[in-house]
Amino acid sequence: MAAAAGLSVAHGRRPGPAGPVGTAGPRLLAAVVLLGGWQALASSGLLFRDVVPPLQALAAGLWAVARDGGFWADARVTGGELLGAVLVGGVAGGATGLLLGSSPLLSAAFERWITWFGPTPKIILFPVLILLCGVGPGSKVAMGAVSCFFPMVLSTAAAVRGVDPVLLRVARSFRARRHQTLMKVYLPATVAPLLNGVRLGFGLALIGVLLAETKLSNQGVGFAVMQAYARFDMPRMYGLLILVVGFAAAVNIVLGHGARRAAGATGQEH
Amino acid sequence: MHRLLLAVLLLAPFAARADDVLKLAIGQRGNWENSVSELGQEAGFFRRHGLTLELLYTEGSGQTQQAVISGSVDLGIGAGTYGVLGAFGKGAPVRVIGNSMVGARDLYWYVPAASPLRSIKEAGGRSVAYSTTGSSTDLVVRAFQRSFGLQLKPVAAGSPASTFTQTMSGQIDVGWASPPFGMEAVQAGRTRIVGRGSDVPEFADQSVRVMIANAGALARKADAIGRYMEAYRETVAWLYADPAALDAYARWAGVSTALARQVRDEFYPRANMDPDRIRGLEALSQDAVGLKFLAAPLRPEQLAALVRNARAER
Amino acid sequence: MKVGAGLAGLLVMAGLVALLQWAIGAGIVDEYTVPRPTEIAAALPRLVAEEQVVSRFLVTAGETFAAAGLSTLVGTALGAALYRWPLLRRSFEPGFAVLAAAPLILAYPLFLVLFGRSSATVVVIAFASALPPVVLQAVAGFAAVRPVLLAAGRSLGLGRAAEFRHVLLPAALPSVFTGLRLALMFGLINVVGVEFLINLGGLGALINELSERYDLPGTWAAIGLVVLVSACFFVVLDGGERWLRRRG
Repeated sequence: MAAAAGLSVAHGRRPGPAGPVGTAGPRLLAAVVLLGGWQALASSGLLFRDVVPPLQALAAGLWAVARDGGFWADARVTGGELLGAVLVGGVAGGATGLLLGSSPLLSAAFERWITWFGPTPKIILFPVLILLCGVGPGSKVAMGAVSCFFPMVLSTAAAVRGVDPVLLRVARSFRARRHQTLMKVYLPATVAPLLNGVRLGFGLALIGVLLAETKLSNQGVGFAVMQAYARFDMPRMYGLLILVVGFAAAVNIVLGHGARRAAGATGQEH
Repeated sequence: MHRLLLAVLLLAPFAARADDVLKLAIGQRGNWENSVSELGQEAGFFRRHGLTLELLYTEGSGQTQQAVISGSVDLGIGAGTYGVLGAFGKGAPVRVIGNSMVGARDLYWYVPAASPLRSIKEAGGRSVAYSTTGSSTDLVVRAFQRSFGLQLKPVAAGSPASTFTQTMSGQIDVGWASPPFGMEAVQAGRTRIVGRGSDVPEFADQSVRVMIANAGALARKADAIGRYMEAYRETVAWLYADPAALDAYARWAGVSTALARQVRDEFYPRANMDPDRIRGLEALSQDAVGLKFLAAPLRPEQLAALVRNARAER
Repeated sequence: MKVGAGLAGLLVMAGLVALLQWAIGAGIVDEYTVPRPTEIAAALPRLVAEEQVVSRFLVTAGETFAAAGLSTLVGTALGAALYRWPLLRRSFEPGFAVLAAAPLILAYPLFLVLFGRSSATVVVIAFASALPPVVLQAVAGFAAVRPVLLAAGRSLGLGRAAEFRHVLLPAALPSVFTGLRLALMFGLINVVGVEFLINLGGLGALINELSERYDLPGTWAAIGLVVLVSACFFVVLDGGERWLRRRG
């Protein structure tokens, strides 16, 4: 059962209803400490000011980027590529993980290769992907999908292996065929950990898409970041990165809610 | 009769010749050297020759070259000559169609204002930046050591921005850059130029970066690429003759027109940007061996096969 | 049977490599983008002789070990703290989920300035990138421990500390090992990625240099060495986990 936790965050005892008042205190404190520490570091003059700018400069950069129509056009491009990457990588990774997790034979044969190839930086494959998918958004989608594929496989396989054996025995006693077992037992039981696997894969897909945009492109947020750094416009670069993190945060919150709801719906919380 | 008229009317828009599309990979957007294609397109030079350019920017010469070799783009601008020679030597489908930059006059080395160094000749024992192995900056730093009898500590610091970060935070003593990068800091007195690529005479007559084409694309689109070169020449002439060109560049690069003029006049003499002036390939081919780009220097017939530029003087 | 399956997997991988060799020879795959596997293998001895591959291998492995080890230790401790104090968990767990998706590697100029042009920067970026997934994993692992075990511990009169050592930690050990696996994966990706980006140190810098030199067989051979680092770590990890379970 503990193995089923895999990469799940929704499993396990929930520490009571999440009261907004309660969490505000620690979060505020953490924010004050972190921001205050940064400001102190920036103002101390110990570090190169252009790269460690004070909060005012960061705010100004952020504001300039948010007001720039060009940024939102870039953001739409990157967002589209990211969506494609998560869909392709998530579905492929999930399906492969499902296969590996439900078959000890396949797992013993192939899972270690996925684990070993997982940590290689996929950006090396980018020239091959450009060859296959062209110089446009296609290669960026492919890059993100490849980056997202590996953690999806591993987390899905772990989740599948953690499915309650009782459920599987029940399915067998009903003489369920393989695809019925997959659809009616494995899939519902793993939706919550799957969604959390997607959260993790999403992060890697984002990095993959952005890095690909820094390598060969003429649009997208990654391209904008590279341009900003090339001109040493650090406030703009930080503004872009902050917006990217903000976007990642928003998606994460949505996916987190979805995972909790799915876990609740399938009765996996205890 | 009516049907014929209708057919002619319907087909008329398609009778006009559609522009040929060429895909380009270009490194370091914002550089004067790399501005020709985009500024020329904006000013209509390429359109006049029936061309539409799709421009993609890369992080560096290696990316540019790989994109051309794989056929993902048709042309590459600003590809390091050593890399191109090495790839061609290994049989890669790449050809040189023009010169991107002769000499190293566009490169400069600088220190933070607080540094005691006044000239690169005083930098013995210090760390000096270059971008990557085999790049023109790498070669100039080696040339500094030879010409001035110095023992330097060369550091592969990467792009101008990355180098600036490391130099200004004291991790490297002498940084490198290519204008307009860093010029505002020089003018504001935050940095000081201590050396120029033109200080060492070795590369003054060598094409350190070239314009390349995918061999297959060259065969299929020979006419279009020929027209590209025509438009390129016209754009270069315009960049050095018309004040409006400086304004366009200033807008594109995000600098003032005055700085743009200074950058162009001091660092980029027109002769160095002449696309037909492909120089010094034999000598570069010899050096490429020492830097492990080639196993053996290219033979004259290989060099002849490599260069596809009718007007080139070798 | 497991050994047989493992062998079958190896044969399939070898078959794919052979297929690639054939496809390149037949012109289906561009040989100037993907070199023949035989050429890649031939490049290995050259790399060892000319490019100090062994010392680079050790540098990358060392940086990965440091980053993954640190992030596992700190991450598990943080995870335990979040589990122990539910208010902290409610406040900060979502934050860690956000950080897990943040492209920290893109902020490498900041780290360069903070930690200098050295292995320290590489390790710090890799550590910071690997930490959030480990924390999330640890919290989930502790929270998933079967309540009956905790109840048993309490009925035996175990205090908090003893409960952690004798009930929580052993029960959550598989999760901790999953966390360590994640730490290794994120750690190695980021170590090699940062080395590649700032051209410093181990195998990542070598990959960068070789690709700039258009030495494709060498580049792919160096990537193969990264896979080897990865395989070494995971083999050791699996062995360690099995040994611990036997002691159990």
